Amino acid sequence: MNFKTLVTAGFVAASLATPALAEYPERPINMVIPYGAGGATDISARTIAEPLGDAVGKPLIMANVTGAGGATGSVAVQNAKPDGYTMLFARVGSHSVNPAMKETLPYTLDDFRFVTVYEINPVACAVSPNSGITSMEDLIAKVDEGGVAYSSSGVGSLLHLAAVMVLKEFGVENPLEQATHIPQKGGGAAATAVLNGTATFLCTNSSAVASFVANGQLIPLMVTTPEPIVGFDAPTAADLEKPALHQLVGWTGIAGPAGLPDDVAAKWGEWMAAATQDEGFLDKMTARGSVIELMNPEDANAFIQGQYETFRALVDELGMRIQG
Amino acid sequence: MSFLDSILAGLTVVGNIEAFLALGIGVTIGVIGGAIPGMSATMAVALTLPFTFSMQPITGILLLLGVYKGGIFGGSIPAILIKTPGTPASSATILDGYPMAEKGEAGRALGMALWASCTADVVSNLSLILFAGWLASFALSFGPPEFFTLILFSLTIIAGVSGDSLLKGALSALLGLMLATIGLDLVYGTNRFTFGDPNLMGGLNFIAVLIGLFAIPEVIAMVWHPTAHVGKARSLGKNWVSFADYRRSFRSIIRGSLIGVFLGSIPGIGAAPSAFLSYSEARRRSKYKENFGKGEVEGVAASEAGNNGVAGATLIPLLALGVPGDVITAIIIGAFMIHGLQPGPMMFILNVDIIYGLFIGLIVSSVFLFFIGSVAIKGFKYVADVPRRLLVPGVLVLCIYGVFAVNNNIFDVGVMFAMGWVGYVMMRYQVPAAPFLIAFILGPLLEDNFRQSMLMSGSDPSILLRGPITWFFWTVTVITIVAIIRAGFRATRRKPVADKG
Repeated sequence: MNFKTLVTAGFVAASLATPALAEYPERPINMVIPYGAGGATDISARTIAEPLGDAVGKPLIMANVTGAGGATGSVAVQNAKPDGYTMLFARVGSHSVNPAMKETLPYTLDDFRFVTVYEINPVACAVSPNSGITSMEDLIAKVDEGGVAYSSSGVGSLLHLAAVMVLKEFGVENPLEQATHIPQKGGGAAATAVLNGTATFLCTNSSAVASFVANGQLIPLMVTTPEPIVGFDAPTAADLEKPALHQLVGWTGIAGPAGLPDDVAAKWGEWMAAATQDEGFLDKMTARGSVIELMNPEDANAFIQGQYETFRALVDELGMRIQG
Repeated sequence: MSFLDSILAGLTVVGNIEAFLALGIGVTIGVIGGAIPGMSATMAVALTLPFTFSMQPITGILLLLGVYKGGIFGGSIPAILIKTPGTPASSATILDGYPMAEKGEAGRALGMALWASCTADVVSNLSLILFAGWLASFALSFGPPEFFTLILFSLTIIAGVSGDSLLKGALSALLGLMLATIGLDLVYGTNRFTFGDPNLMGGLNFIAVLIGLFAIPEVIAMVWHPTAHVGKARSLGKNWVSFADYRRSFRSIIRGSLIGVFLGSIPGIGAAPSAFLSYSEARRRSKYKENFGKGEVEGVAASEAGNNGVAGATLIPLLALGVPGDVITAIIIGAFMIHGLQPGPMMFILNVDIIYGLFIGLIVSSVFLFFIGSVAIKGFKYVADVPRRLLVPGVLVLCIYGVFAVNNNIFDVGVMFAMGWVGYVMMRYQVPAAPFLIAFILGPLLEDNFRQSMLMSGSDPSILLRGPITWFFWTVTVITIVAIIRAGFRATRRKPVADKG
């Protein structure tokens, strides 16, 4: 290939690509939030929507399509035209825990193309002060005695998987047999269950238990990030020499249907880079205990795929997969 | 810090024009949002939330609380006027509110709804201020077994809203229980009766079922017999509630408020069961028992007191424990956290000014609710004067819009129409719809708490008898059931005598 053909090829490619770049977006973009108004995903989505709308230059139409742990909204986007005008706020529950755990889920990760992950939520494990447990060692000792229960926001939620994964990492042979899972409806109810003694511990997004920890109603045992979290007087997974647990974090990202064109994905990469610089956005998100970590489309796909495979391996090993 | 100091500290944070303006705007938004079917109080609060981020913490929170309180009252307006509850919490208000509107007493029903709501609001706020600590510790002693017995007792409401035939009421409840099982199983996460359709995985949408069951049958009936209403006087929503009405219903209002406070302070129940429980208790004890369900003003009062009594009390677990009692308070907790405030026991020490500022704001909010509610009623009550041939198509459009807007899902609109036909058939055969709804709300709670209890105990049923709370509810459940059976026997024994005579 000589220089001339290269230039011609480049020119042809550019002339083909330019109209598409100039056109998208030419109308408002529908953004589907697969969880209810006022939840963690909803607040995160509506907070980014403000600076993101400025970056996009067209209105973003936010719609909550809720139900079935995020599946209803995800299916709506899965079946949409991959033209970049219907996008999804994907969340750890709907797009890595659920696909890893649920056989009958109407979608897989391959049905989506991620354009970004912009928010990471560290996971913390906590117990009630009445339990007499003050460290992970105590908790594991209690598990060996028997009678330990953990709460979650439902079967196949991050909280469910997190508790099992943590116990497994700390040497509990079969967490499903040795500890009892008491599913609740929603994250708030899961924390309440530990407060009132229904369950012994829970592992959840640090922001969900931050106020309980600050008030001394719950004692944090560990956090899964390599760095400590402000307000959590607990060792990190790195301190406890469990680097595998770094994978165990919550996140929020944006995805389109699988056939999303490259130039649309690239556009989103640019918009997100601009939007996450917004100071108001950063302040509001960090006040809620989130870590803002922008990933470009490639990194986001790799990150989610990696987390999915870790979870999937654990689920298969323990036989936790939900069938039927 | 003495009590007076605390109040002064509170006054310094709310003693400004913005705080009161926010409260007033909030109540207004809430009443309007609540009055639009399908736009529930929850949605109104969620949509207002982003606007509070840039405000002073107390101003933002008062705005949200105003929306919440306004929304719960606003829901009663369409419930009375067009038989479509604006929010789930006002479904019990339909039972007597709509028959009153049919009789041409819409103004009286709306007025009573407002007075009862405001009274309950005051009671609820005072309970929050005076007994927050005590009620919060009580709420924490509610684990799954206690919940199970409470819900079991609440199911006896079905007898109170069944109308003439307990059998038909039970049939209706059975139907509701069955439809409530659609969706994901709580403990195993498996699909139940979803037929592989992702739309059914989340269960039937509550608002779609609610509107389908109550509003759509009226529309279908209108299509069936377009002239059936001719000659019935419906118009004139000009009459107003009298003080004598209020005095007559006062006991029911106070009882309803206390039921609301009690259920509101326990996380996870919400306003709809409270309204139904208050209604059925009022009916059981009223001198005008026979009129309930046919347009009894006391019924409207009881149900509105029941749902507004919850509003202030849900702040008890929120402020004292940092635990959200329902979806709305979960959103409000988000507003606290955005401003770096962490609700919980420490807040009473660290942010005394905010806590007392909130208390002052809450007391004022009841007054705001009264005046803004009066204005809203004046505006809305003429809906009752709109001719039926114009009103009913309008209601249909509103219902479709409302149900679609809840979840942006056309499937829900289909559910609404399907439930509409079910409701129409039930109406034709005089099967009451209220037991269906109660079973639909309480059924899943009953099941979940039972299964959670069994998980806790390793399938040992004796956990359902742990502690005095469970014993208390078992006892009242048994007493209520015995009373229902005795009343049933007495009714059947009386009938033959009446026939002979």
